Amino acid sequence: MRRLILFILLLALSWQSDADGVVVDKVYSPYVLPQEREIEWRLMSRNSDAQGNQLGQRLGYGHSLSEYVTMEIYLVGERELGSDDFGLEGIEVEARWMLTEQGQYWADWGLLFEVEKAHTEDNWEVSSGVLVEKEFGKTSLTVNLFAIYEWGQSVANEWESEARVKLRYRYLPILQPAIELYAGEDFFGIGPAFQGIQRFHGQKQLKWEAAFISELSHSGKDHTFRFSVEYEF
Amino acid sequence: MLTFRGKINVSLWLGLQLMVLPFDALATNIPEFHLTLENHLFFPAEIEVPANKKVKLIIYNKDDVAEEFDSFDLNREKMIFPKRKSTIYIGPLPPGEYHFFGEYNPNMATGKVVVKGGSNVN
Repeated sequence: MRRLILFILLLALSWQSDADGVVVDKVYSPYVLPQEREIEWRLMSRNSDAQGNQLGQRLGYGHSLSEYVTMEIYLVGERELGSDDFGLEGIEVEARWMLTEQGQYWADWGLLFEVEKAHTEDNWEVSSGVLVEKEFGKTSLTVNLFAIYEWGQSVANEWESEARVKLRYRYLPILQPAIELYAGEDFFGIGPAFQGIQRFHGQKQLKWEAAFISELSHSGKDHTFRFSVEYEF
Repeated sequence: MLTFRGKINVSLWLGLQLMVLPFDALATNIPEFHLTLENHLFFPAEIEVPANKKVKLIIYNKDDVAEEFDSFDLNREKMIFPKRKSTIYIGPLPPGEYHFFGEYNPNMATGKVVVKGGSNVN
């Protein structure tokens, strides 16, 4: 079992990543709860010597379709490089499929599928990912590995890949410190993260996540702050 | 065009997906413990399980409405549909008390899993 965990970690760390978009986003857990709806807002702010300031936001609505499958649709907004204009960049549909019951096997498994269409251009991106989570006492290790294909009017047809890793300590529901790692094309970043959950009546709950990721593979400044809030009901 | 590096990545990714399949064989002979949910109350409200061993909690919801099993201590959330049995896998856990509750009736549907060492577990 330890060898398999080590294999997954090594695979994530050595993942030959080719993603040329923004890599820092979210580390997905494989779990799905039925009868759950959610509204989600994500913010990503990147400041680097090479690319200046980038800002991305996502507003999503999700709805579980069964005990094992949930779907979410996002409006993706970005501020383009060299521009002050922030606008709708694309629309994304995401499906997450929980493959195994939590705790049933040595690790919990899921799959993620995403299709994104650019708003003003005929550009497409399709992603497929493996989501793995393993519990060690009060610590949870989550690994996401993505294969991405993009094509269209103004992008080259190409395969890309990404890896995301989170090591989280379940200290308190409202405060769970973590370390996040992201690997993409010309990007290898790591940094502290925090997340928490506040429960209300019934299925209503508010989840939040924040992380500050520093890119390590290049000299010069390259920091990304990400924040997300999910209201489940 | 898929580069050589891309081909390696896609192959590893597909291999990782296929790794899920053989784990069915590992999930046998897990001790079972039964709970009932009736009138928004768990019976028994306290259940003892062995330490350092994975166990199955099988919860039969006799009520006409769904309940959501929730436990931060156990790191589990699971919908328990009405008139159905649901299985929650927990552990291996060190000795201690692990509280759980029903999200729809958090003041009534409460309970705890008591994890004890040794073999004298009910």
